[in-house]
This record gives sequence, C-alpha cells and structure tokens, in this order.
Amino acid sequence: MKLFISLNNKSRLYDYHDMGIHYYLLGTPYSFYTPHIFQIDEIKDMIASYPDCHFYVGLNGLYDQDKIAELETYIDKLQDIHITGILFQDFGVLQIVKDKGYHLDMMYAPETLNTNAQSINTLAKLGITSAFISHVISLEEQIQIKNETSIPLMMFAHGVEYMAASKRKLLSNYKAASHKEFNDDHLMIQDRSSKKKMHIFENNHSTLIFSEERLYTLDLFNQIKDMDYLYIETLFMDDNEAIEVASIYSDALSSINYDRDVKALLALLYQMNKPLSRGFLFDNTVYKLEDVRKIDNEKRESNH
Amino acid sequence: MRNVSQIIDGKRQIIKKPELLSPAGNLEKLKIAIIYGADAVFIGGKEFSLRSQASNFTIDDIKEAVAFANQYHAKIHVTCNIILHQNNLEGIKEYLQALDDIGVTAIIVADPYIMMLAKEMKLKLEVHVSTQLSTLNTKAIQFYQDMGMDRVVLGREVTYENLKDILNETDMDIEYFIHGAMCIHYSGRCMLSNYLVRRDANRGGCSQSCRWYYDLYDNDTLLTNENDMPFTMSSKDMALVNHIGELIELGVDSFKIEGRMKSLHYIATVVSTYRKLIDSYCDDPNHFIMNDFYVKELEKAANRALCHGFFYENPGVNEQLYNIRDEHPTQEFVLRVIDYDEESHIATIEQRNYFKVGDKIEIFSPSHSNLFFIVKKIYNEDKEEVDVANHPMEILYIECDQYVEKNDMGRKVIR
Repeated sequence: MKLFISLNNKSRLYDYHDMGIHYYLLGTPYSFYTPHIFQIDEIKDMIASYPDCHFYVGLNGLYDQDKIAELETYIDKLQDIHITGILFQDFGVLQIVKDKGYHLDMMYAPETLNTNAQSINTLAKLGITSAFISHVISLEEQIQIKNETSIPLMMFAHGVEYMAASKRKLLSNYKAASHKEFNDDHLMIQDRSSKKKMHIFENNHSTLIFSEERLYTLDLFNQIKDMDYLYIETLFMDDNEAIEVASIYSDALSSINYDRDVKALLALLYQMNKPLSRGFLFDNTVYKLEDVRKIDNEKRESNH
Repeated sequence: MRNVSQIIDGKRQIIKKPELLSPAGNLEKLKIAIIYGADAVFIGGKEFSLRSQASNFTIDDIKEAVAFANQYHAKIHVTCNIILHQNNLEGIKEYLQALDDIGVTAIIVADPYIMMLAKEMKLKLEVHVSTQLSTLNTKAIQFYQDMGMDRVVLGREVTYENLKDILNETDMDIEYFIHGAMCIHYSGRCMLSNYLVRRDANRGGCSQSCRWYYDLYDNDTLLTNENDMPFTMSSKDMALVNHIGELIELGVDSFKIEGRMKSLHYIATVVSTYRKLIDSYCDDPNHFIMNDFYVKELEKAANRALCHGFFYENPGVNEQLYNIRDEHPTQEFVLRVIDYDEESHIATIEQRNYFKVGDKIEIFSPSHSNLFFIVKKIYNEDKEEVDVANHPMEILYIECDQYVEKNDMGRKVIR
C-alpha cells in the first residue's frame, strides 16, 4: 500500500519525498481539476530531480472534439518527458495512447463509475492498467472490488470529495442573472433543506462542486491494507494542511508495519480542526422506487 | 462526409432520413409514440434501468411492445444503463438473453461489463453506448467501435460544430438529443443526489437536486439574502426544432427525444411535431420553409421554457431557469378520441381532464392538421346529456362537426 498525493506545490516535493511518498498526481492545463497547474518543463524537472518517484498526470477531463488535436500533441510531450502514467476518465485519452503505442500506466479514474469489479476487469482487457475505485460506494464494496480485480487499484483516502461538474459556467451565469458581484475564490453553496455546504468553483473547462468535509480513512488501514494506492486529495488545502495530512498518513502507514496504535495520529487529525466525514464508506445509497419512498417517509416523520 | 441526399429526377432528395426515437414510460405511451410517428421507442425494464420512478416495463410488457412495434415496422430499445454496483450483477445475463429472445432491437448501456457481456453472448440485439458516458469526441467513439458497439449516444454537451466534425470523421451510428430536459452536469458524473439525499443518480434514483435552491456563501458570509434570487443550477429544456434541417444534412443517424417520465400528451405532441417537421424537410429540402407552427406546437406541451442547449456554444444565463415563474404552464390535455361516427358527427372519447360545454378544443392528430371546435353537447355512457366531463377515463360522446380519427387527442384552448 502506497500513498499517492495530488501535488499542490512543487517546492514541497522534498518534504513529501522525505516522508516516503513516491507517487504524485500532477495537474496540467488539461486536468479536470487540480490544486495546481504545472507546466511541461516543471514536470520534466521534477522527473529528473526525483528519479525514484512516479509522476502521473491528470488528463481526466471530458474532451470536446475540437480539443482532441491539441490533446494528442500534449500527450506526445508527456511521453517525451517520461511520465509514469495518466489518470483519465475519457476513453478518448486511452484511445490516443493506444493508437500511438505509448506504454504508460493508464489509470481509469472516472470519479463515479468504477463501482464493480467486473467492469474494471473488462476494461483491463481493453487497455486500462490500473483504476481508481469510485468513492461513492461503501468500504465493503471497495474491498470486494479489490479482492476480485487483477490490476492495481487506488482508493480515495483523504480529502474533499468530487460531487459534480458542469460544462456550463454556473457561477458566471448566476452573476449575470442576479446582477450580483462577488469574489469567486472561496465560494460555497448550501442546500436549503439538508443545510449541507459544498465548495463550488469555475475553471477553464467547467464548474465543479466538492464536499466541504474531508473524507478520512486514517483508522481503517487494517481493513484496506490490500489496496495498492491510497489517494490524498490536496484540493482546498493550504500548504500546511497538505503537509500535515500527508505526514499523518505516512506515519499511519508505518504504524501498520510496526503494529502501532493510530489513536495518537487520529487525535492529530482532529486537532487540525477541519470538517471530516466518512462519505459513503459506511452508508448505502438507494435507487429503487420503494426504497426512495421509504426514505422520504422516514424524513417526513422525523420532521413532525 | 456522409451521403445524405442525391438528385433524383432533377430534384434533390434526402436519402438518409434520421430515425426519430421517442421515450415511453408505459405501454400506452409507447403505442401512442409509434402511432404518432416514432421510428423507434426507448423504454426501461424493471431492472438495470435508470429513471426508477418511470413506470417501467415487465418482460411481458416488453414482449407486447415489440409485437406492437413490429406492426408499424418500429424498433424497441431497452435501457440497461445503470452503473452496476457489486450487488447489481445478479441476473443480468438472463435478462439480456430474455430481451434478445423477445426481439428487442437494441439495449442502451453505460457499464462496460454489460457492453462486453452482450457481445460475448453473441446476441442479435445491438448495443448502444448510453449518454451516461458523456461521449464527446471521435477518439472515444473509436474506443467503443473497437469494442464492437453499434451506436453511440452523444453527450448533450456536443455543439453543432463539433457534431459536424464527429460525423465527418466516424462511420459509427450516432444518436443525438434534439429535445427534452437536460442534466445541468455531465451525465453520469453528478453525485449531488447521492450526497444530499442518499439517492443514487447513476442507478436511477436521481432527486434532481440541481433544480433545488441553494444559498451562496463567500467563506462564511452569506451572499444571497432573503429577497435575493437564490442560486440554482436548473436548465431550461432543449428544443432543436429550429435546427432539424441542419442536423438532417449532417447525417445524424438518430434524433433522440428525452422523457420517459413525461405524459401521454407530451409524447404525442412532441413526436407528432418532429415527425411532421422531419417528413416535411425530407420531402423537399431545397424548398422547405420553416414556419412557427412547430415551435408553437411544442410550447403547448412544454413543462419548462425551451432553449437550444449546447447547439451553438456553452449555454449562458438565458439557457437557465432562475425563477420558478419561468416554468411554462402545460396546455390542458382533455380527451383522446376512441371512435368517430361520420354520419352522426359524434366522437366517442376518453376523458383525461375536466372540460365543459362551451370550451374550445384543439384536436391534434398523427394524420391530419390541427382543428378546432366548440363543445356543444356532451353525453355520458347512458347517452344522457351532461354539462361537464369531470370523471377521468370516463367514456363520453361529444358532437364534433369536423372529421376526427381514433387516437386523435384534444387539448383545451386556454384563453
């Protein structure tokens, strides 16, 4: 089990490396979202400076037809600088890499779709070489998928969770409709019914919504020890939080090996005073009409 | 470039007419969709289908649907487009085999496991890639083509210009949405419903949380005060009625109408309108003149304000709904014709909504132009004269001087 982190600051790579973290996701102009956009030369420098590390690039958007040509050129550049792999969700990206005959670790990371082992095994026959399990399913299901899958799998371990993405400029459109002016940097929306708050922002490609809470798995390592990679999302973390979280998880990983208690590390995580959540790890969603009605009735009754 | 038209007897004629694909939530709607001109209808089964709140079809219903469609040379597509979880895998093989045995034309699939399973089982039915996979480019289409898929339903985010390039570069069968509600987020990639109410959008439980009202904060400072317009992500519905000619000329294989949850009246109106529009264009593309009949007709069934979606570019403020009052009132569907006696000028009808003597009714039909009449007399099943029709599904008799046909529908003209 290895830690895999979205790099938010090139200058902190030394610290992460020092903690024993060797797997990095790097944001690019073509990434769906990223805590930081790195230029090709920066990626090249990092690869040269840290030869024992594995650098993956996020080409994990959904790409319009008119972007395909420049995306192909960009993939050529990534191949030239010897990245380890690509996280993607558009099968167009996989097809480009296959057509060019490049041998990169192609990690299928569609946020919401890797929800059963058979589909991952099917895609393994079609060119994916690793996969990022969906974080909207239970821990039990994630472990079952790991047990029934032959390729390396990554599990979402810590950070704000992706919730939705729109190609529309939802904030800009709202500004135009409401004639309001506001700063876009730290916006959140809150559902009036559940009172849940969510991060919302626009980037060059889309509008994205993320949970306010950070999902955490620090005390679950004994159950997830067979996962190949544990992912830490540093989006919406400042440098200090990202370093602290990485350090705590790195220590927890060592604790497994030495059979130490993680309670002290958990206390450190709580002390950071950031909202934490279990996401869907111990909760199931419903979809059948009768189950939906049952939930609605329960909610109605609890309101009386 | 797809070969769409050719000169026959000195006149340019469309030789590649797109399939008109309608939704249906139950057998009655399916039959009406076909009678009103759909070339194909997509339906959901009881299992493995999104839209868990649509009525959905049992295997016996699907059998009846295929038998009915065959009479009209129409096709049935069945959605198997849930994103499977570990506990959803049981029974899928038997289900696919049953659909194939019945003679379903195609299944619409989002999960790669079902895609490959259907191909490995060597079924006769086609496998169509669902819009849930948000396919936007030819490289992704190539991936599915290499898998042996038969058709790709494009994401609603594909613009006209990108569609043109896609159709120029691929020979894959392409299905394109022309009408209906739009997900505000990328299909299959929205988990708002999952997070906010624990209802799984990718397995058919979507609560349409995007259409709710939200408060907007800058860190902890509330930006939307009590009297402000609330933040919402609700989209107007898409209607490409003004672009059908351009889309036919591109060589799109199938025009898809969204809405398995929609009413009988909606299905009949929308299918009928696009059927007439497509036929009219294809009859004489060089001299086709668009008139406002089609748009006005669609507005009579519209649940929401209409827009052109992503056809030109990324939708802006005018393509979203920020106030509930923007939503359109639906014209009132009041009757369906069961029979018409040309001698007595009496139409036997099935009542669908309240109407009364003196009301003006507009009749629309799959086979003739719209016509209007004032309700002069209504008789109940005992042939007793009544003033109002106020019992749903009651068989009634009304005087109508103009010729109407079985399956024509009537809507009350709202003054």
